[in-house]
Amino acid sequence: MLTKWLKQPQKMGDKYSLWAIYFCTGCGIIEVPPVITSRWDAERFGVIPVATPRQANLFLITGYVSVKTLKAIIRTYEQMPEPKYTVGFGSCPINGGMYWDSYNTIKHLDKYIPIDGWIAGCMPRPEAIFIAVTHLWTLIDKGMATGYKRYREKYQYYRKNQEKVLGKLTWPPQFHTGNDDV
Amino acid sequence: MARIHWRYGPPLTQPVIDIIKLFHQKSFSHGVIFELGLILSLAGSVVTLLFIPIGTICPLNVAGGLLVVLYLMLLAPIGIALSGGGGSNPNISIGISRKMLLALSYEVPFLLVVLTVMIHYKTISLVSLVELQRASGWGIISLPLTGIAYFLILPAMLGIRPFDMVEAPQEIASGLKVEYSGKFLVVYYIEHALRRFIVIALFVNLLLGGAGEPFTFLVKMLVVFVICVCINAVFPRFRMEQAIRFNWTWPTMLALAGLVIACIWGGYG
Repeated sequence: MLTKWLKQPQKMGDKYSLWAIYFCTGCGIIEVPPVITSRWDAERFGVIPVATPRQANLFLITGYVSVKTLKAIIRTYEQMPEPKYTVGFGSCPINGGMYWDSYNTIKHLDKYIPIDGWIAGCMPRPEAIFIAVTHLWTLIDKGMATGYKRYREKYQYYRKNQEKVLGKLTWPPQFHTGNDDV
Repeated sequence: MARIHWRYGPPLTQPVIDIIKLFHQKSFSHGVIFELGLILSLAGSVVTLLFIPIGTICPLNVAGGLLVVLYLMLLAPIGIALSGGGGSNPNISIGISRKMLLALSYEVPFLLVVLTVMIHYKTISLVSLVELQRASGWGIISLPLTGIAYFLILPAMLGIRPFDMVEAPQEIASGLKVEYSGKFLVVYYIEHALRRFIVIALFVNLLLGGAGEPFTFLVKMLVVFVICVCINAVFPRFRMEQAIRFNWTWPTMLALAGLVIACIWGGYG
């Protein structure tokens, strides 16, 4: 344990101090207050809620994503400092869930921003968040939670998908997209 | 604090883990003023710390230590305000205005308290203040009203509940620190912690008699801090005008009464 801290302090720091920003897109947010307050007490795991994306490194997307909120999600994700981890909470961000045939809901969120982990269920129990956090620890330990690196490498792909849904984006691309006229 | 809420709470090393993580994180800057303001506030706090005797250790022992501390303590809020202005976020401007108003409200009783102590012991040197108190008993016993006044403004000076409207995460998205990330946030946190240390150390030095050796001093500080944490854990947040009304009535009145009594006893009346 101690040798791990001495060898890779930055990785262990990322692991045990996940500051979360919750995106209240849908019904999933109702599970979050019991998780962060004294009933389930997420602070035991180093997960505390912060109010601004500038300080967060864990992004929880709770519930279904409409086209309008996708814009806000992308902007929030791009404002977070690297390294950053994203977890989709509930079945709606995975494949649309019960809104699978809705005209205004994003079905596969991982086409638009990279997702490091999913919590399936409708709704997941608060304990599922802790399972997700411990799984994320394992992923960070093995160096597999590389969503932010993927976003940088395949930014062109993500940006193209974002533009397909949202039309012309009002903000400049975060990374180089390959073609200079964009 | 977590025990008061009936929960387990994070491990004791959590702040260290947070700081390691924040150093590793990528950070965004918003220009020169944004960075220099933070450095100014950190420098202000560090220099103030040098003037405060911790037990008998006082790196910069000057004759007028208390006045110097009073002036230097103003540097930190000004630096933070400058830096926040560089961030140009509406939440930061609300945070700055709240911080300055709060400072205005607690500075009045604070200055009265310091004046009372200075008049009572007839010295403006912090070191000789501590020596006088060790000879004649704690300041809070001979100046009870002043002690109560300082204790009442202590939460406001520390920025904890019920006076944490400067950093209300639920209303104004953390207020001042909304734009800080990574290393800037580390500097902000360290500055904040130093400021808390200074305020409590001043309380111990002015009214709780200081201490002969650093260990006793730190124990006294810890006791005061634990009491403040208990207050923090059980109180909700005041609104801004409630806070100012509170600070300008009870602590100010008590401090003023203490000043008058000290003047009469000291033979200035």
